[in-house]
Order: sequence, then structure tokens, then C-alpha cells
Amino acid sequence: MVFSSLIFLCVFLPLTALLYYITGNRRWRNGLLIAASLVFYAWGEPGYVILLLVCGLFNYFSGLSIEKTKDRNKKKAKLVLAVSLNILILVFFKYTGFLLENLNRLLGLTVNAPDIYLPVGISFYTFKAISYVSDIYKGKITAQKSYWKFMLYISLFHHLVAGPIIRYPDIADEIDHREETPEGVRDGVRRFIAGLAKKVILSNTAAEIAGTFLDGDLSRLSVAGAWLGILLFAFRIYFDFSGYSDMAIGLGKIFGFNYGENFNYPYISKSLTEFWRRWHISLGTFFRDYVYIPLGGNRRHIIRNLLVVWLLTGLWHGASWNFILWGLFNFVFIVIEKKLLKGFLERIPGLFSRIYFVIVTLIGWAFFYFTDTARLLVFVGALFGTAGRSFIDPDARILFENNCVFIMICILACTPILKYLAGITERKIEERSKLAAGIQNIGQPFAYTVVFIVSLVFLVSQTYNPFLYFQF
Amino acid sequence: MKKIYAETLIFFMVLAVLGTANLINTHKPEISEVENRALAGKPVFSAADFFNGKYFEDYNNYYNDTFIMRDEMILMCRDIKDAFTVNSGYVLVVAERDKLPQSPGDDADFSGEEAGNDPENREETTPDGSENKEQDPQERTETEGEKRENAAEPGLELEDDGNMGYWLLADGKAVELFRFNKEAIDYYVETINMYHEKLGDKVKLYSMIAPTAGEFTLMKRYRDMTDSQNEAMIYINSKLHPDITAVDVFDALSRHKDEYIYFRTDHHWTALGAYYAYEAFMKARGEEAVPLERYETVTVDNFLGSAYTKTLSKELENNPDTIQVYLPFTKNRFTRYSGSTPREVDVIDLSYAEGKDKYLIFISSGGGTWSVIQTDVKNGRKLLIMKDSFGNAIAPFFLPHYEEIYIIDSRFYSTAVTGMNIPQFIEHHGIQEVVFVHYMEDVNWAEFMQTVRNLLFEDENTQ
Repeated sequence: MVFSSLIFLCVFLPLTALLYYITGNRRWRNGLLIAASLVFYAWGEPGYVILLLVCGLFNYFSGLSIEKTKDRNKKKAKLVLAVSLNILILVFFKYTGFLLENLNRLLGLTVNAPDIYLPVGISFYTFKAISYVSDIYKGKITAQKSYWKFMLYISLFHHLVAGPIIRYPDIADEIDHREETPEGVRDGVRRFIAGLAKKVILSNTAAEIAGTFLDGDLSRLSVAGAWLGILLFAFRIYFDFSGYSDMAIGLGKIFGFNYGENFNYPYISKSLTEFWRRWHISLGTFFRDYVYIPLGGNRRHIIRNLLVVWLLTGLWHGASWNFILWGLFNFVFIVIEKKLLKGFLERIPGLFSRIYFVIVTLIGWAFFYFTDTARLLVFVGALFGTAGRSFIDPDARILFENNCVFIMICILACTPILKYLAGITERKIEERSKLAAGIQNIGQPFAYTVVFIVSLVFLVSQTYNPFLYFQF
Repeated sequence: MKKIYAETLIFFMVLAVLGTANLINTHKPEISEVENRALAGKPVFSAADFFNGKYFEDYNNYYNDTFIMRDEMILMCRDIKDAFTVNSGYVLVVAERDKLPQSPGDDADFSGEEAGNDPENREETTPDGSENKEQDPQERTETEGEKRENAAEPGLELEDDGNMGYWLLADGKAVELFRFNKEAIDYYVETINMYHEKLGDKVKLYSMIAPTAGEFTLMKRYRDMTDSQNEAMIYINSKLHPDITAVDVFDALSRHKDEYIYFRTDHHWTALGAYYAYEAFMKARGEEAVPLERYETVTVDNFLGSAYTKTLSKELENNPDTIQVYLPFTKNRFTRYSGSTPREVDVIDLSYAEGKDKYLIFISSGGGTWSVIQTDVKNGRKLLIMKDSFGNAIAPFFLPHYEEIYIIDSRFYSTAVTGMNIPQFIEHHGIQEVVFVHYMEDVNWAEFMQTVRNLLFEDENTQ
């Protein structure tokens, strides 16, 4: 199931919330969340629930066993085994096809890839499990004694299928001692609505317009069309991903959990390095803590360490060469920023560093978007105006004119302007401003309601699927 | 219960009310007129579908399709989007083109779905559905796919490049924009030439390509958004085998470009436009066309066609089309085969004027698997129209000139049902002339023309 589906919104969520708040019993509530999470996961792939449960069971016992083992070498061996097995599961389900395809090409073989269907969320829950056993190994946390409580961490539907990659210590305490408050639920609802709107209004609309530039005949694309297309894709992926994180965080709050932020206005960055501190934070810190630092971090082989991290980051996003290229692209620019520019971007006026950042990021997204390398090259050519391309064509001009309001809304939604305005309102309330209090008590609920209804309307109408040819 | 904030209350109330309303709504719609399709029905539970996830997918589609107040919400969304769209005289709508029914690579159920999707043909296809079921659908698709692979040239890669459709909305009209695709155009030429090669000199071939409205109605300022269809046609004609007659539709329509030859809200030509194309065809044959005055006419108002359906544009909604129908005066019997079940239908069926897609008036929505019109013109001449939907409006004009007119739409013809590929079909029925009537967008779409080409070969060896 996904959050932005009608069946989740109109059946699953209200039902789960109702059953959850029917009693204050913690055991009931936790049990319900586990049951709901398994139903959530099973909806679509009932077979893989077993994989999830087994994966959970294995890591649960690994955790206990690593904790118990005193002998350092044995302890390490157990950790290596546990981590390897998680990686093996991930590789098997996610990369088998890709590996075989490349092996075939390399060795001239014709081994047919088995038909493996990617289990939803596997990239996230294997990573959660890896962080869990590693943290136990390092003695940072104590192992969870109850399998079902451990499953509550691994499989909670809030972050099961698309992150954030929650760390166990962040919610260990809340499994048993969380407090559901009316304010928390309200904030969760607000956050969820914001995420839903990002996904169904902004991201989906941006995707539609971006497709007109990126999915068409690239040889005709004008320079302006190429930039406009990739800009809209940048909106699409940000609102999609951060919207999903917002919904996850919101759901957490509705049920009393407090998850860390996963996005921190990444598009206002001045460098790629800064961007990666603001974008998909839980993934970045995962690679930092469990790959980069164990490899030696900044102390030794820094270039090698960076290369490993960025190759893995690229590969994690998908089993395809373009994601590896995208990782390398990030690696090159991060190294340039670290070794050559050395803070230069922070010293020059913000406008210039932002222009640099936007250009580099947008080109980077092109690598992310085009899985077909031939199309990728043509597109990058279009960005730089290869011979014979017009600067702007009527398509790009009309689409820009038609959608300029939408684009403005997207730009604003990438900045912390609403957060800033909310801050001002808070301060005015402290100064006993009646207007500010009115905005907060009436204006905000009203605005959220409107955004929520509009999101639902968009969601329903996105099922509009006319057929022109079926009959003739 | 402790305090509940307004947002919390509203959020859960709205969701719960919608959820309950869907639960207790027993009158679920089955067909969407606006979308021209059957809505997803409640899936039947089966263990296999459950474990491969198909059951859930179907259930989601069913839930979405039958969501309460869905049509109202779709229009509301249209209005919200309109409010944020800056209309500087032109609105460009780009959307993925429809998938072809039964196209290679589509999942096995597609053919079944297509039959169910077709509200008109549904009753008819059911009786012969049993016949289809004898074959394992999976197997059938596979063998079909293989054959298509063999038939298609190895060099042809059907990229998704060509699958975007471009509509420009301006002045209360929707115009489909033409983007010349040399590979696809060459593919068309090759296909028609292959037919000639296969059929030899005994069968006379005509290539009739209907340009789209963009060629005639687009304002100068945006002329460069669309490639010249005239040039494309000149290119095609220069490459066709000299024995194939290219009907000069372009010139014929161009002379009448200020008349009502195209719909504003639909991609088709009007019957008047089709008449001028017919005139050009008769000229190419060196015969007199029947004057338009010879026909009695009926007018049907309030037609919102495919372009409206695709874009839901308010501008189009406020500017609906009128269909002028020319009633045939030639006595005829029109037999349509859906699968192998024949049924008699009317060349012009005005009952379709009550429905949403009024273009279906022409030859009663289409030709089914194949169909034949027998007339009282006892001249022994037999014509095959290989067509897309543009052929529907022109077909009635051929009646006074032929004893038998066969109609085949390559998307719906099935060699499995008739046991004949097209050359065999032509020989079997003693057809002397074949006219290919396709509109420029289909000519410019290799995936479409592939369905035409495949019918040359399929099942040849199994006979």
C-alpha cells in the first residue's frame, strides 16, 4: 500500500486510528500497529511478508547473540555474518538481474535472470537491520528482548516502504513509553496533509509536465525546454520523496512517535556538499556512520572512502548504470568542493554559489532520470545546446507560460518561507497580537482543511484515464 | 477523550465519511462515459491472484474507479488547475498516447479487457467469448508475440519516443500537432509496398492519408510547432511503388479549408471532410463522384469528442461540435463480425447520437473483427478498406460504387478467428481494390503500422 492511495486514506488509516485509540492499553496499541503494518505490507505482496518476518527474526536473534558474546573475535564474526546476510538478501532481490545482465555482456554468457520481483521497502528495512546489529556490536544500544517489539521497529508501516531509515535508539524508548497527545496528533495530521499535498498536487503535476520534455523526441528539444524539463523533474523528485517523508513523520506523530527530519530544504543549498547534508538525511548519515567512518573517514584514504560511499549511494537508488554514474557525478563534485574550492562557495556572494549549485544539481538529476544511457547523452547535449538546437521553441514557451504560476508555487514550496511566516506568527502571539492569534486558531486549520480537500480531489482525478482508441 | 483539535477532527471525519460512503454505496458505476471505458469491476478472489499481487492491484483499481463523486471531483480538479493555468491564448497539452489494444508485449488479459472495455460490443463478444477461452490466453499472446517478432523487421525498435501526443488548444479548438518521424514514415511506406509486392498486380492499392486539422487551422505564429504534413505526404508518395495510387487528399481538403471539415473537439474529420477525400479518391479512379446534394442529411448537436475527453478543456466544453450526417441512399446490408459471430448493423446508426461519443454514428462504431457491406449495386466490384477510425466517416460514401465493401481495422482483426491473413482474406473474397485509410498520426506511428504489417504474415504457415 502507499500513503497516497485512496484505499490507504479512506479505509486503512481511519480504521487503524480508530482501533488504536479505542483503548489506552500499550500492549493492544503496539500489537495493533504490528498487525496493521503487516496488513499494510501484505496489501500488494502477501508472499513477501514472510521475507519480512524471517528477515526480522534473523536480525532479532543476531542482535541478542552479538550482545551476549564476549569474545571480541567471535562478536565481530557474528556481526559480519549478520551484516553480510542482510546485504545478501538485498543484493539477491534487488541486483540479481542487473548483475547477470552485466556478467552476460562481459563474459558473453546467456544466463537468463530469474524473474525476481523487488520486494517493496527492502532497501529500507535491510538498512534498518544493519544499523541495529552494528549499534549493538558497538555497545551503543541494548538488544530488544521481544521479537514483536523488534518487528515494531523494523516493520512499522510509517517508514516501512520509503523511509526515513529510522535508527533503533531513536524509537527504542517510544516503543514502551510514548505519549500520544492531542497536540502531537494535530501536528501529525498537519504534517501528513503537507506531505500528501506535496506528493499529489506538486509532485504529480510536475511529473506530468516534466514528461512532456523528457519523454518525448529529445532531438527536437530546445535548450530552454531541456532546462525546464529537468527543473520540473527536480521538483517532482523532491516533492515526491520529501512528501513521503513528511507523511511518515506525520503518521509517527499521530501514533505518538517522533522521528527525525529527513529533508531540510535541500534546494536552498549553496553547494552539493551542503545539499547532501539536507537531502535524505537518514540515508546520508547511514552511509556516514556505517561505511565512511568505519573505512577511516576523513583521517585516511579520504578519496577512496568518498568514492566507495558515492558508488554505494548511487547503486542504492537503483540497479542500473545511470545510478552508478549519478553517484560518480556526485563524487566528482564533492571532491572538487572539498579539495579545490575549500570553502570558496561560502565566501562568494550567495547568489553565485546558488547558481553554481542549481546548475550542478540539475545536471545531476539528468543522470538520475535517464536509465537509457544513449538518451542521457542526447539530453545532456540538449542542456548545453549542441549544434542545431534552438534556444527556445514554441512548446517550451507555451508550457512555461501556461505553468508559470505552478512553477512559482513549487519554488516557494522549496524554501522555508512558510516556516518563516509561522515563526513570525508565533512571536506576534507572544506579543499578544490578536491578528496573529486569529491566524493561528482559525486561519491555519482552515488552510490545512483546504489543502487536504484539494489533495483528495487531485488524488481522485489522477485516476482519470480516458481511452480514445479502444473502440475504433 | 482529551481535547481534539479542528484539523484532527476534520481530517479523520472526511476520511471516515468518504470511506463509509464508499462502503455503503451499492450503486457502483460500471461505465465511464467521459472516459470512454468500462470501469474496473470488483475482482474475483483467487489464490493465484492473491499471491502474485494481482488481486490487490485489481482491487485498488476497482476502489479508485468507483470512488464516490469521482466524476465531480475530476471536473473540480480540472477547474482548480484551470484557475492556476495562465492562458495566453494557447494552452499546450501533452499527454501520452493511448496504448494499442492487443499490442505485443501487453499482458495476457489485455484482449479480454479490451472486449470488456467496449460497452457497445460487450454483449456481442460474450457469446463467442467461450470460443476464445478455449485457448489459453497466455499461450495465445505468446505465440502472437513470437510471430510479431518474426514478422517485424529486426531493425525496428519501437521507442517510447513516438508515443507522446501534442494538443494545442486555441480559439475554442483543439489541434493535434504533427511531429515528423522519418523512421515511422518510412515504415508506413515499406508496409504499403510490401502489400503491393505480396498482392501483385491483380489487386489495385490506394494509399489515402488524412492530414490532421493542424495543417489547415493553425495560426501563423504557431506554424513552426507542427511539421508540414503536406511535405510528409509528398515524401511518402515519392517512395511508394508507382503502381500504388496515392490519393491526393491534402489538395482536396486544402481547397475547402474554410469549411467545417474538421471537428473542433475531436481529432477526426467531419463527414464533409471525408466527402472531399472521397471525391479525391474518385478522381484518382477516373470516375464521377456522387454529388453531395444527392444525400439527405441529419444534424446532431452537442458533440464533445476525443480532444475534449483528453483535455477536459472548458474552452472546448463551451464550444461543442455539430455532426452533419449524410444518409446513404444505396440499399445495403452491413454485417459485422465480432469474433466469428455475425450481426447486422446500420451503416449510419443514429442511436449513437444519444451517447457521449457521437462519432460512433458512422458505421455503427466500427468494423468489429471484420465486416462487410453488401449493396444492390450489382457491378461485381469489391473493395477492402484497411482503416483506422478516420475510415468510419468515409466508408458510407463508397456504397454507390461497389457491390461489396469489406472493412478491416488492423487493431481488431484477428487471424486466429478468421484463419486468414489479409492476402488470404483478399483472395478468398475476390477483392480487387484495397484502400488504406489512416490519419497522419497513425501513419507517423510505427507501432500502429506494425499491426497493419503483421496481418500480411500471421498464420500463413499454419494454413
